Amino acid sequence: MSHTESIDVPERVTPHVTKLRANAKAGAFAQRTAKVWELATGTRMAGYLLVAPAVLFLAVWFVWPVLTMVHLSLTSRVVEGVSVEGFTLENYVRLFSSDLYFRILLRTVRIALLTSLFAALFAYPLAIAIARGGPTLARLVTITILAPLLVNVVVRSYGWQTILNKTGALAWVLKMFGISNPPVLLYTEWAVLIACVHVYLPFMVMPIAGAIGRIDRSVEEAARVAGATRLAVLMRVMLPLSLPGLAVGASLVFSLSAAAYVTPQILGGNFSPLLGTLIEQQILTLNDWPFGAAISTLLIALVLASNLIFLKLVSRRFARWTAGAR
Amino acid sequence: MNETVSLPLKITVGIILALVVAPLFVPVLMSISDTPYIVFPPQGFTLKWYGEVLANHEARGSFLFSLELATIVTVVSLLLGVPCAAGLTRYRVPGQDAVLGLILSPLIVPLIVTGVALLQVFALMGWRATLMQLVIGHTVVCLPYVIRSVSASLLLVNRNLEDAAAVLGASPHVVAMKVIWPQVRPGILAGGTFCFIVSFDDYPVSMWLADGNHFPVPLYLYTVIERSFDPSIAAIASLMIFFALLLVLVIEKVFGLSLARLAS
Repeated sequence: MSHTESIDVPERVTPHVTKLRANAKAGAFAQRTAKVWELATGTRMAGYLLVAPAVLFLAVWFVWPVLTMVHLSLTSRVVEGVSVEGFTLENYVRLFSSDLYFRILLRTVRIALLTSLFAALFAYPLAIAIARGGPTLARLVTITILAPLLVNVVVRSYGWQTILNKTGALAWVLKMFGISNPPVLLYTEWAVLIACVHVYLPFMVMPIAGAIGRIDRSVEEAARVAGATRLAVLMRVMLPLSLPGLAVGASLVFSLSAAAYVTPQILGGNFSPLLGTLIEQQILTLNDWPFGAAISTLLIALVLASNLIFLKLVSRRFARWTAGAR
Repeated sequence: MNETVSLPLKITVGIILALVVAPLFVPVLMSISDTPYIVFPPQGFTLKWYGEVLANHEARGSFLFSLELATIVTVVSLLLGVPCAAGLTRYRVPGQDAVLGLILSPLIVPLIVTGVALLQVFALMGWRATLMQLVIGHTVVCLPYVIRSVSASLLLVNRNLEDAAAVLGASPHVVAMKVIWPQVRPGILAGGTFCFIVSFDDYPVSMWLADGNHFPVPLYLYTVIERSFDPSIAAIASLMIFFALLLVLVIEKVFGLSLARLAS
């Protein structure tokens, strides 16, 4: 019995065996591919290969153009359009020696500084509400602050135009209060300032809210228990400890408003141009590429300097305070 | 210390929030005014300005072009950005700090400068291909956001789960699809969404690279604001605001992302 069966079995099982063999082969193949995959992904090469496309892309389409522009700013202009002749600082000299251009530079720095200042003033109450308020309040403030970021900057600037217009909402409100001849704000630096504060406020609120959120609540409670008023807690505990957030926010807002183009154009018109407008005029209207490149390079320098100053200044002070606290 | 936020602070916050939303509400109010010029408060009620805008060929063309551009830019940015984020977080790439610095540097240089620098290079090359150039310009701007967002979520991936899956016999492919992907998905979605929004709303790069046949919505809006004064501009602005509100809803409800995460 058992003998015949042992002869029978292979015949019945044969298809299964071939299937198993095929499976084993497939398994070995899968294992081999896994090995290759591991080899490919486990080595240093894999890291390079993954990073390379993005790095190459940015090197070609960001680093190269910016360097070319800096180089162009050091050349002089031949009659029309682009020129790459000789080395000269004349574009920079012109930028600082001409009264007109220098005034635009000063206005840009002034508006960027004032925007940072007012944004910080408005941002603190909001940031405290986000970091220390209940979940409902925090969520409401966060969404109301961030949602306008999704609205195009042209639309947001236009919104201020409809408010500051002669027949706009502000004039109407002021008339209700009996001021029949309100000051015209549209197409002044004030209008640019107001709109810039509005447009860049979120970039101030979020870092400060983050910094306040990281402050240990027990520090504030300790100050309260020790008899500090709410104002004292705000000025002497919250404000100093949230300075890193303020520094990040201020450098962001300064950089963004110094380089703003749309908002000053829509609200300041041709009466208070900033550096951005100047670049646009020099390149698209006057076709003076080297001078436009010089203004652009100056704008980069301005932004880098502001970042360095805000962040360095605060980190040094901060280091001193925390060292004193120990 | 239950009452951490005092009443005066709440009132201040209320006033500031009102000021924040005012410039978004006023255009909506003005867009229904039945006058041939912009006036506040609106007089009468009409929807004809909306009809005019929606029937406008240029407006629709710009809107469709911006959608197309933002979609292409998002795809390209994800194709370049996701592998890069993976390489930066999972492998030791020599010179990692330099690479990171390079990748984040477009966030520091003002957009208007990035745009003009690209225009100069394109002009020097004598290369004319507006759509390609716009895609390149926008991708330079969007790529850092994508890489940052995806890297952040990759760093949060729990390696133990991968090892566990591998030990239980999952192939690398299965590990990638069933273990890593679900953990990385929110980061990729957030990066992609943000990328789309940045591209769709971009003005300072497009202003240099666009031409009459490739005219994104923000540029179109700007020219309309410059040249006309009737409430149809308010109607376009309102439509853009409604579009943004729709985006907020989609982001929060469909994608399950919080706005705060997008902006971080």
